[in-house]
Amino acid sequence: MNVEISDLTRRFGRTEAVAGVSLETGPGVFGLLGPNGAGKTSLLRMMATVLPPTSGRLRLLGRDPGSFRPRREIRRRLGYLPQSLGYYPGFTVAEFVEYFALLKEMPPGQVPRAVATTLEQVGLGDKARAKLRTLSGGMLRRAGIAQAIVNQPELLLLDEPTAGLDPEQRVAFRALLRDLGQRATVVVSTHLVEDVGAACTEVALMERGKIVFHGSPAELIARGEDTAAAGDAPLERGYSAALAMARSATPTPAVTKAPTVTKAPPA
Amino acid sequence: MNDDELIAAVAGGDDAALRELFSRHAPWLAARLRAVLPAAEVEDVLQETFLAVWRGARGYRPAREDGTAGGWLWGIARRQAALLLRRGGPAVLVLPAVIAADGRHAEDPQEAALARADLEQAVAALGPAGSAEREVWRLLYVEDRPVAEVARLTGVPEGTVKSRAHRVRRLLRAALRGGQTAEGGAR
Amino acid sequence: MNGTDAGPPDVDLDRVWLGVAAQVWRRQPGWLERAAGRLLRSPGLARALVITPSLLPGWLIATGVVLVAGLLATRGTGTPYVPLVAPAVAGAGVAYAYGPGTDPAWELSRSMAVSDRMVLLVRALAVFGLNAGLGLAASAASGTAVAITFGWLVPMTAVCALALAAATVSQSSDVGVAAGMAGWVITVLGARVASGRLIAAVADARLVLPYLVFAAACGAVAWYATRIPRGNT
Repeated sequence: MNVEISDLTRRFGRTEAVAGVSLETGPGVFGLLGPNGAGKTSLLRMMATVLPPTSGRLRLLGRDPGSFRPRREIRRRLGYLPQSLGYYPGFTVAEFVEYFALLKEMPPGQVPRAVATTLEQVGLGDKARAKLRTLSGGMLRRAGIAQAIVNQPELLLLDEPTAGLDPEQRVAFRALLRDLGQRATVVVSTHLVEDVGAACTEVALMERGKIVFHGSPAELIARGEDTAAAGDAPLERGYSAALAMARSATPTPAVTKAPTVTKAPPA
Repeated sequence: MNDDELIAAVAGGDDAALRELFSRHAPWLAARLRAVLPAAEVEDVLQETFLAVWRGARGYRPAREDGTAGGWLWGIARRQAALLLRRGGPAVLVLPAVIAADGRHAEDPQEAALARADLEQAVAALGPAGSAEREVWRLLYVEDRPVAEVARLTGVPEGTVKSRAHRVRRLLRAALRGGQTAEGGAR
Repeated sequence: MNGTDAGPPDVDLDRVWLGVAAQVWRRQPGWLERAAGRLLRSPGLARALVITPSLLPGWLIATGVVLVAGLLATRGTGTPYVPLVAPAVAGAGVAYAYGPGTDPAWELSRSMAVSDRMVLLVRALAVFGLNAGLGLAASAASGTAVAITFGWLVPMTAVCALALAAATVSQSSDVGVAAGMAGWVITVLGARVASGRLIAAVADARLVLPYLVFAAACGAVAWYATRIPRGNT
């Protein structure tokens, strides 16, 4: 198990961004879905050791991130792509990826080859020596993905990784995710439901700081069957149904006819 | 962009042009080298070749028409293969000065020796297997025996061995030189 | 490389290209970075140090210009301006050593094995040391008394600590600069009002202890502020 979370809570003032979340996951691609403000980013930040939890138990890669040495060990094996990532405009793509490889304490001898491999993996091989300020939004996002995977992390956390990528790039990215999920735990936080369906082996849906669904994409689809939930695709309907159920706080699981669903969350 | 333009771009520091050059030419260079070397060494030689291209693109002169870029690339590949062999690669092609050990030819003798396709043709020009020249070639150059031993094995005086060796070198040089003008690249 | 034609089946051309690219794309660190890497026993920390905004050539030149102006003013008027100016310049430099104001990838940096606190510490010390060196050179060249030549190092420490504390607490380098500058101006003017001399802030020996205590307190604040990363949704 690379991630073991038990009753994790994070409070900001009086708001509970994450309200008692428990989950465990090993290698594979784990999708974290939910509307904006559901607490996905805070949860991801805690897993990235950037934010300490208010209460609860968190173990990453078998270690406790609350102590200095284990946290450092975790961070060497971690890859993180925040939702908004600033760039050093004067750096080239290769310099940018190299910088974070060094900050992750990769052995310097391995860095040049790792940088080259990663840049080719994300499709930036012909932009390696281009300055970041000359890149489009989608390319910058891919550069961000590159720094996250350069150290071949065992735990990879991606917050809205496909923002700005065109459909073809998204397909390539999903293939990359599946590849990475062979060896590592990849947690993808996204509000794009179709990203999840194509690549994830496990899905969790967050709403107002809590996990309201946790299972396989097929199970999420099943939630939406025989309901009038909004959505153009089975996964979207499952998403809407699960969300609606959570919001109406109805305990009964199987719903043959959904209550009036007024508005679907942004897909 | 054609090959000459790509190489000029590489000379100007354009690594994307190098990448394009690689994707165009690495396959046939690899195939040619593979006829001479094992796969692992082919990879090493190819890597050194393109690094040499990156560093030395400025020295490229498109003097002739089509095929120049390929020939230039192959020339670099051969030199890199020679360097690799000299550092102790496979014993298959251990060949001392085939071309002008007397130093008249400017090119590295090892380098020329590696074009096995050229070489096989050239060796065939020495005569049928078993002929005097072919024997001298085999014993003195391929098996790298000293002159005295070759003389003993073939039953001729050392002077005869030496004059046959001189004839072998002359014949090979002529045959290989004729082969070189045909070695321009595939694109 | 997707789409490279096959070549011989047992030759991995993609791997060959990666070997070439690794050398072509690699960055060669300069001598300063390599020395820092050995000294700090961390190539990442050394790289973070050499890209510090307030250690970049442009910033250093600006610092030099300000100090030379102070130097010339001192030569011209007899009032030692360098000791008055140097702390402010150093404070600004330290505030711009690290933080959301200057580091666009700041959130990401907080998830790194080379901890952001280490980076901040090393950068702040380097900026401080460099400014102290430049200031001392300018001060000595302006021919002021020895006590004054060195005397401003203590106030400079206090100003830098204040700037650092403000920057880390507010998570903004600009706030740090403003706090450092404001604090120093107030101190200088206050000391002048109290004693009638402009350079009282740097010349009065009784202020040494208060400065150091203040600097220690600000240091503790900065330490605390970087210990608990504050989140914002």
